Amino acid sequence: MLNVEHINVGYKDLQVLWDVSFQVNQGELVALIGPNGAGKTTTLKAIMGLRRPWSGTIYFEGQNLCKVPAHKTAELGIAMVPEGGRVFTGLTVLENLELGAFAPHARKHMAQTLEEMYQLFPRLEERKFQRAGTLSGGERQMLAIARALMSRPKLLMLDEPSFGLAPLLVDRIFAKIKEINQAGMTILLVEQNVRAALELAHRSYVIQNGRIVGMGTSEELLSFEFVRSAYLG
Amino acid sequence: MNRRDIAFVVSALIIAAALAVVPSITVKESVINLLVLVYIYVMMASSWNIIGGIAGQVNLGHAAFFGLGSLVSRILWTKGWPLSVSMILGALVPVAFALIIGAPSFKLRGVYFAIGTLAMAQILFITTRNLFPMISSLPTEALATYSLAPRYYVALGMTLLTVLVVFWLSRSRWGLGMVAVREEANAAESLGVSALQHKLLALCLSAFFAGLAGGVFAYYSAGYYLFFPFFPTWTFDAVMATYIGGTGTVIGPIIGAVFYVLVKEILALRFVELHPFIFGTLFILVVLFLPGGMIQIWSRLRRLFRRAAPAPSEEKAMSESDMVHDRPAVE
Amino acid sequence: MVETLVQNIVFGLLLGALYGLAAVGLSLVFGVTKFLNVAHGELLMLGGYVSFWLFNLYHVDPFVSLPLAALALVVVGIVLYSLLFSRTVKMDEEQKVQTTMLIGFGVSLILQNLAQRLWTADDRSITTAYSRMSWTLFDIRFPIVRVVSMVVALLLVIALQQFLQRSYFGKAIRATVEDWEEATIIGIDTHRVYLVAFVIGAAFAGVAGALVSVGYSIVPSMGLEWTLVCLVVMTLGGLGSIIGTFVGGLILGVAQALTAFAVGGAYRQVVGLLLFLVVLAVRPQGLFGVKEG
Repeated sequence: MLNVEHINVGYKDLQVLWDVSFQVNQGELVALIGPNGAGKTTTLKAIMGLRRPWSGTIYFEGQNLCKVPAHKTAELGIAMVPEGGRVFTGLTVLENLELGAFAPHARKHMAQTLEEMYQLFPRLEERKFQRAGTLSGGERQMLAIARALMSRPKLLMLDEPSFGLAPLLVDRIFAKIKEINQAGMTILLVEQNVRAALELAHRSYVIQNGRIVGMGTSEELLSFEFVRSAYLG
Repeated sequence: MNRRDIAFVVSALIIAAALAVVPSITVKESVINLLVLVYIYVMMASSWNIIGGIAGQVNLGHAAFFGLGSLVSRILWTKGWPLSVSMILGALVPVAFALIIGAPSFKLRGVYFAIGTLAMAQILFITTRNLFPMISSLPTEALATYSLAPRYYVALGMTLLTVLVVFWLSRSRWGLGMVAVREEANAAESLGVSALQHKLLALCLSAFFAGLAGGVFAYYSAGYYLFFPFFPTWTFDAVMATYIGGTGTVIGPIIGAVFYVLVKEILALRFVELHPFIFGTLFILVVLFLPGGMIQIWSRLRRLFRRAAPAPSEEKAMSESDMVHDRPAVE
Repeated sequence: MVETLVQNIVFGLLLGALYGLAAVGLSLVFGVTKFLNVAHGELLMLGGYVSFWLFNLYHVDPFVSLPLAALALVVVGIVLYSLLFSRTVKMDEEQKVQTTMLIGFGVSLILQNLAQRLWTADDRSITTAYSRMSWTLFDIRFPIVRVVSMVVALLLVIALQQFLQRSYFGKAIRATVEDWEEATIIGIDTHRVYLVAFVIGAAFAGVAGALVSVGYSIVPSMGLEWTLVCLVVMTLGGLGSIIGTFVGGLILGVAQALTAFAVGGAYRQVVGLLLFLVVLAVRPQGLFGVKEG
């Protein structure tokens, strides 16, 4: 479904990603794990079109994403949950969700998707007229996920959903992610929290210093020094 | 001083000397008048460049300094004070004004500084227009003996002074500090460069030479409305000439000012009011596509011919390379 | 004496409504795009001339031609945005503000001289059959034209506020102001958002200018003064708040009227600039400075 092929990405004259390749298949939950600053967020931004690769290509269902303007990526069926539950804090919960359905195909089904989201996250319905800025960290993360799902994506990408959350909340969020995946959603999960990610993912890629250094199932990846120390430590 | 610096000073002196003989070889007053106008614009652009270009604080109240300078010089001089004293005071009063407004206005971030200075200049403009609505004319006996030549030499001398001081400044620790403040205020602060001190010095020097230009204008003009030099146009002309020539460089504002006045005069002869279109367009183009101004074209051409030498990155604005890095590494 | 004072305040409020209208336009543009379009006063001037021109040549009533003035400025806005201002979108904020300010000065110079060539440097004003009429209440005069202008201004400002609060695209604009990257992720074309904000701002200037040409007078060199007025009002009202900005306009109108009453008309402009400097010194975020995201 998503094929990232040999991309090199950087900011001005600082290269961040070096020859990064990976793929995500239909229905899979794939994790991209690595320490802080490894280039995980940059990878997602490159897929979203916010950061153009210097070289290499990204295909989504056979279409070259590098030729799609950033704001059209959502229309193609890719949604991204930004790091730290970034939502529009000045807007209400409902307004955030409505805007999530900005892409034309999603706007048609807005009312229906909204109902689904309230079922998935009942908390959000209780708070729909509150400003998003007044939500707790966990609620914001849920809102961010729900907003992304409002676009009825084929691929959901999550950037560090565990960021800044207490362990109990992390478990709850990850349970939701699993639920969403089991309902048929293809997911690309970017995580620093190696333990939680490996428990969830079908397959994982390890990224370090902007390079993919390993790929496999959770058991296979335990042979990696970085993974082992993160997992055990 | 290295060889290039000496070359600059020597060529400045030679050009000034050549210009000094102009009054003795032509009797055309229009030529002299045009040159005096060029000198005033060079002073205005070069002085604006100190705060706006070198120190990077876009000051839109430059006309206030020019206006104050001309007002003080003119009033004192027509009251019978010696010309030299009048002009010096005419340059110092704007400095005092700069000191007063400097500290509070530098607290304003970026664009608020620009609008704040514009507001201050407009307040001064409106006030002087109300307080001095009259034309200041020279007394009849002075008019009878009015002679262009001394005015020409004063204008030329003051222009040379301005250019040399700006040149010295650009090569001095203070000038480098100003550039550091412009490029990265926080980093400069951590290197021990006081941003406020540097900006304040830049503003004071800028005010001094703009005030001096005002003095030249006051001495040169037979009669004018005392509030005329406060018109915001003086600011905008100086800003545009500086940008078109090359902001932040020593030569840029000079070239820009000469170009500005000459083109304006040529156009005025043939097409009346066409110059605002041309300069407006040119200014916008420079701001958007050629931030180094005409100087940048020159340096690009030079680089084209001197491919052998390791050139600094094309992307860097000329302002930087000309100001700081353009010295030969070994000398 | 008291009546003159009240009369002055009334005139101040009526003019202040136009200040508010114009400043709301500039404030919207600045709030959304971070473009500091200092040619805003010239856009207003153009709107005034469109209206004046339609009245003189085709006898179109100035209140009927308001949509045409707005439309003309929409076109001007689209041209300015796509030709010039759009090129600064990717700059970081401080550089963007400064670059657009400089571009704005270039544009204002060009437009001002264009107007001078097209319509000469004379003061112009539209005189209709009802220009001199006014309502009188307790000996206070309310010129009809200016009262209607105020109503128009108020309605437009409320409409804009409602558009931003209620409409789907209005929400998209607010979202973009808060975080353009996030907005892009969910599929909002930020370029279009910027264009729409810029064009609405230009249209507001155009309508304000048309109203000025009826109730007051227009001249090619009026731009700078109006731009300064808008900047002053914008700062008084606090950035980002539409209603606050409009109230700021009313305040400036009254302050000017009182100044003219107390010290003389020559210093009308000075009071606004002084207020501006005081506000900047004390509260850089403006008087009603609730900083909206």
